[in-house]
Amino acid sequence: MKALVRKEMRENVRVAALGLVIYTLMLLSQYREYVASPTNMSQPLADSGILWSTAWFCGVFGAVLGWLQIHNERRPDLWAFLIHRPMTRTRIFLGKVTAGVGLYALVVGLPLLGFIVWARLPGHVAAPFELAMLQPVAAYVLAGILYYFAGMLSDLRQARWYGSRVLGLGTAIVVSPLLSMSPEFWQSVLLLLVGAAILATAVWGGFQSDGHYRRQPAWGKAALTVALIPGCLLLAVIAALLLRNFFPGRERSGTWSSYRMTTNGSVFKSIQVADRPAEIVDLEGKPVLDEKTGKPIEPNGFNRRIATGPSLEVKQDDHAGQRTWMQKDLSLVTPWRATQDTLWYYWSRYGRLVGYDIATRRCIGSLGPKGFAPDLAGGGDRFSDGRTATGVRTRRTASAVFQVDLEMRATGTLFTTSADDPILAEDEIVNGDYGWQYTMVVTKRSVHLLTAEGKPVWQAPYQPARASSTVFHLFLLEPPGQFALWLSPVGRGPGEAREKYPEHVVWLARDQGVLKRIDLPPLPAPHYGPRLEEEMTSLVAPPALLAVLPLAKVGIWSSGVPRELLLLSWAGAILVCLPIGLWLGRRYRFSFAAQAGWAVFHVLLGVPGLLAFLSVQEWPAREACPICKKLRRVDRAQCEHCAADFAPPEKTGTEVFAPLQASS
Amino acid sequence: MNEQPVIRTQGLTRYFGAQPAVYELSLEVPRGGVFALLGRNGSGKTTTIRMLLGLLEPTRGGGSILGYDIRSLPPEARARIGYLTEEHQLYGWMRVRECGDFQSRFFPTWNDKIFRGVVGHFNLRPSAHVKSLSRGERAGLCLALTLAPEPELLILDDPAVGLDPVARRALVESMIYLTRRSDRTIFFSTHQLPDVERVADHIAVLDRSVLRACCPLETFRNSVRQVRLRFPGTPPALPKIPGLLQAFRSEGELRVTCVHYNGATEAALRGLAPAQMEEAPISLEDAFISYLGDRGEKSFILSETEAQP
Repeated sequence: MKALVRKEMRENVRVAALGLVIYTLMLLSQYREYVASPTNMSQPLADSGILWSTAWFCGVFGAVLGWLQIHNERRPDLWAFLIHRPMTRTRIFLGKVTAGVGLYALVVGLPLLGFIVWARLPGHVAAPFELAMLQPVAAYVLAGILYYFAGMLSDLRQARWYGSRVLGLGTAIVVSPLLSMSPEFWQSVLLLLVGAAILATAVWGGFQSDGHYRRQPAWGKAALTVALIPGCLLLAVIAALLLRNFFPGRERSGTWSSYRMTTNGSVFKSIQVADRPAEIVDLEGKPVLDEKTGKPIEPNGFNRRIATGPSLEVKQDDHAGQRTWMQKDLSLVTPWRATQDTLWYYWSRYGRLVGYDIATRRCIGSLGPKGFAPDLAGGGDRFSDGRTATGVRTRRTASAVFQVDLEMRATGTLFTTSADDPILAEDEIVNGDYGWQYTMVVTKRSVHLLTAEGKPVWQAPYQPARASSTVFHLFLLEPPGQFALWLSPVGRGPGEAREKYPEHVVWLARDQGVLKRIDLPPLPAPHYGPRLEEEMTSLVAPPALLAVLPLAKVGIWSSGVPRELLLLSWAGAILVCLPIGLWLGRRYRFSFAAQAGWAVFHVLLGVPGLLAFLSVQEWPAREACPICKKLRRVDRAQCEHCAADFAPPEKTGTEVFAPLQASS
Repeated sequence: MNEQPVIRTQGLTRYFGAQPAVYELSLEVPRGGVFALLGRNGSGKTTTIRMLLGLLEPTRGGGSILGYDIRSLPPEARARIGYLTEEHQLYGWMRVRECGDFQSRFFPTWNDKIFRGVVGHFNLRPSAHVKSLSRGERAGLCLALTLAPEPELLILDDPAVGLDPVARRALVESMIYLTRRSDRTIFFSTHQLPDVERVADHIAVLDRSVLRACCPLETFRNSVRQVRLRFPGTPPALPKIPGLLQAFRSEGELRVTCVHYNGATEAALRGLAPAQMEEAPISLEDAFISYLGDRGEKSFILSETEAQP
């Protein structure tokens, strides 16, 4: 096998060299972009630039390399020269893959390693680094191997319809975005392993049969069919969305209502039915009239009176799990603020602000609740992570809010609380000129509004509902000094629907505290009828996928697929795909087991399943049986209708046959 | 000696779409000697060879080669079979020497003396790149790669296609040299009838996907006969002659080529009352051309209207 590996390496060294140059140039462009801006606060090993470059390059290069490795030998005679040697086809496949993956690893690994070494050498990158930050790049590098196998499959398959050769790429294309949507890293690794195993098995099967479906081992057939389904799904969805343009638009049914607060502190309800303009009513349900016209107020006119203000979410439990592993890895360090000569990051590993000198690109120390320390850990004093905080002037612990002075590299206490009333959230409220106006602090029992200097403006009690989170909306009302605090419970757990809990509104005034409070009844959950494109998409989507989609908790319909869409999907599968599949199975005389298996397949996988079925099967020619006159498959020894043999070639009377003797 | 045929097929059939390329081919190739598979372009020769080597799936039927099922040839079977492809395709970037090195890693019976001998016979420089070789040189290199493992069975798919007479002669000489080992079998397809005449012991003829002849070369040679009949005027219409391949009618003469010439054939021809009837010598090439050409009667007599200026 070594000779084959060497030959493959040598044969593809040019495309590998080209890939090496291209990827190196892409990384050099990232490098130039970073060094051109000394105040750039991104970590170049974990920013979107390198992720996009790597994802695109690895996908395209992997697919091209895999495709070329087969295409170079696809001329029938050269393929025969390769295959006809005392070596199993599995070993030939392994030889090719060893060389291909080796080249891929070199092409992607060398420039990336160089980039990592450059970024990790002190004095180059003024940003913290953690090994976990490399996981997203590593995931996209590994995804390239899926594209590699998909590229191989595209050229290896002997498809009736040439376009269907590239359907294998669908698996890689579908897996790529799922990598960034998976909650945990191991789930992404599992996805990559499963995807690579399916595609590799499909390619292996292709090697056993010179790319044909019929001669493949059962594992190869199954893998090939599964590998084509994502591509068929993409094709079907694109076709459905294109077809949608040929249908006239239609009004979407459904009702959505919400509470709105105006600048004078009044509360109204906005009710929107279908796609019509919203109707504004008071809390008793009477339409709000325009003072000038005496007619019901227009939504645009009403919107000009709407009060605005910041919102702050307080979580009752840790919902870090709602973020994907990629988001977590990429936010291990958060850029915080820059000064004239320093860059500061919040590093959650140490719970401290870590500073870098812009000129030397080296770490200068860290800031914690107890002040500056020349090292990263300080005295072990830490800020809370406080991911909801958007401000850049304050940080908090469980018991205090600190004002951070980066110029002086010092911290000062703005607010303190007792241990039994810990701080849950805190945010800075800025005015129109981005000037620091207030600080809102939410503790377990109270909500505090402080001035920028830390003087109390008002305090209101906080009694959270049983929902997982509460969103605080602070409205700055007219005249100045008047406020409204709106608490919207947000349920995330099972049975915690938003419409279950009332909305709580508190009106407050500077130095006077609470003026008034009311509970607003929960609004019904918005219910919309499906859009036409949703209906068409679900018609071509695999019913089994729609049924399990909510379990994955990712993407659209993660909270459940509307019943009507699910029904449409099942209807498409049972009324269209199943009959077509059964008819084809009957026409080509599938065995009972094959018919039953494919019938289940069509019902569960709908249109993409049918497309995959049509793509993989090699429909044999049929000709009339000389005995029963019915059309019979030419690939069976006997007629499937009357069990007659095929007619021998017609005699012409010129045949010359004589026994042949072995040479002595 | 093992009397088992080296190649055996039973009802071997391959369709491309609705068109049969090889139809119900049942054939046995005995061990030893040279077996030529003949036929016109598109008659199914290459398809047959590719099916025999497991490179193409038969639509139905099957066969064995060296006792192994052609649908699943194991590596040990491939080690015993040398295969020279029709187009003589090789990796263009390799040098002649590298081709030998590459191939030698896979075949435990590789004989480098044979490789160097054949390469030298074709005057190939070991340092030459494959892409720089002429078609004949490439054929020589392919032949060297095929012969060096000293295969028990050599399958050559139209090895002389595109070769000049000198290269073709070198190829034939190599084949003759090879047949010195009595247990070695050569199975080759070709259009080159002089080559067949020089080296083949047995032949099989495929005509439009169907096997029409399979016999020793001499049997075929003796089966096809040509008779010249002279008439005082225009020859009369030809009656149904059994085994008729071709008949050429010209002014005062009728030339008939038929297979399985016997007393019945002679009686039918004498029934035309020719002034003179004699058997004409026919070369093997002419016999093949008659056998594989269009069947039936052809006339070289111009009608009166056609003859007028």
